[in-house]
Amino acid sequence: MLASSVQRSKPTPYPSKARSALIRRAVVVVLVLLALTLVTIAFRSPTSGALHGLQGAGSTALRPFQIAATRVAQPFRDAYDYLDSLSGLKSENARLKRQYAKVRAEAIANRALAVQAAQYKKLLDFEQGRTYPSGYRAVNTAVISYPSGVFAHSLTIAAGSTSGVREDSPVVSGYGLVGIVSNVSPHTAVVRLLTDPSTYVAAFDLKTRVHGTIHMGTGGSLILDYVQKQLRVKKQDVLVTAGTSNAQFPDLYPYGIPIGRVANVSAEDTEPYLQVQVQPFANISSLNAVGVLVPKKSRR
Amino acid sequence: MTFADGAKAAALLFVAAIVQVSIFSQLHVFGAVPDVLLVSLVVFALLRGSVAGAVGGFFAGLLVDTASLGTLGLTSLVLTLAGYWIGRYGETTGRDRAHAPYLSVAVVTVLYQFGLLVVHFVLAESAPAGAVVRSLLPAIVLNLILTGPLYALVRRLLRPARRDELSAEVQLLG
Repeated sequence: MLASSVQRSKPTPYPSKARSALIRRAVVVVLVLLALTLVTIAFRSPTSGALHGLQGAGSTALRPFQIAATRVAQPFRDAYDYLDSLSGLKSENARLKRQYAKVRAEAIANRALAVQAAQYKKLLDFEQGRTYPSGYRAVNTAVISYPSGVFAHSLTIAAGSTSGVREDSPVVSGYGLVGIVSNVSPHTAVVRLLTDPSTYVAAFDLKTRVHGTIHMGTGGSLILDYVQKQLRVKKQDVLVTAGTSNAQFPDLYPYGIPIGRVANVSAEDTEPYLQVQVQPFANISSLNAVGVLVPKKSRR
Repeated sequence: MTFADGAKAAALLFVAAIVQVSIFSQLHVFGAVPDVLLVSLVVFALLRGSVAGAVGGFFAGLLVDTASLGTLGLTSLVLTLAGYWIGRYGETTGRDRAHAPYLSVAVVTVLYQFGLLVVHFVLAESAPAGAVVRSLLPAIVLNLILTGPLYALVRRLLRPARRDELSAEVQLLG
């Protein structure tokens, strides 16, 4: 039995010449080189040039499909959000009632102060940049693609230069600042989020009037940086954009856009500044629609 | 690969790319995002070989970069290599094995994440290695969950290629 010869199946013949290893390798080398060329061109001129125009046209062509996909997914998202919100609804209701009473009192006081402030401004001929929201109109638009994974800190919106969106336009949600427009095509635009490591926003503590710069910290959370240790910043303080302090050098963000609340404050001997963690008002990881702030009139 | 096969594959990767950038990229589970496009590409490359995998990866990446107005060619570069490599695995040893899709998806998820990390690092963009490492395990689990249904769907959509349609230099006997 052991000595008997084993009948092996006839090996399958090797593929035809047309699909040879050479062609296969050539295809992948050409594709990799093409991708590297595209990366190089796109990296050198991310917001202008022929390639950017082509990409913009492609993005415009894909926009209806993206909008359709988000609309198809919307009922499922709503159902999930509804079920998610059911837990803790009672306690949230009580908390919101308390918050409403407090906010209503603050709003009345603020209205009284605003009347006074307007008179003082007129008397002093006070020069100031545009303020939010009176100096801007919002281009409200849907979000059509979201930051995917840990590398992306931007999202794509379904409005572009034809709707008045310009590069460096601030972007807000119903709750607060979301980011800034970093790339515009005719019908779509990219919003660089507040959580992007390259986003820096001059901010202002409404309660203590302390100024600082909000950006992404090394620990993966937003921080209010460059606040001297002797200054006082408290937990729960509200932070807004600081806006333009010098009309000659206008800030990208107008004064008064809500950014977030101070979540934690600490001071370390080895650090020159306070460690202030910030919880943004806008739920940046889950945005369906945003408003792009466009100046009502052109700047002087 | 026939014209009808090519059209079906193009439709599959197009839909997967749109669904990925518009829907799946929002689903953050333990810091990871399920990647329906990557899994579809892996399954497609396993069934159709290295050349189809590389071409599919290139154009799928181009779609993602165009739809998200990202750096053009960046996703294409990584997906081309992923499609080619898995295609070679399918052509040589893995095609007929039951565990091949799962093994391929798990390995490619890791390589894809590190590939993107390297490319972002080279371009001096945000490359958070710690976050990538932390999100690896959940990303693998999420992609493995998608693998079964997607493999069944793609296999139904595209009939498995005959052995002689695939290029092969290594072949297991027996």
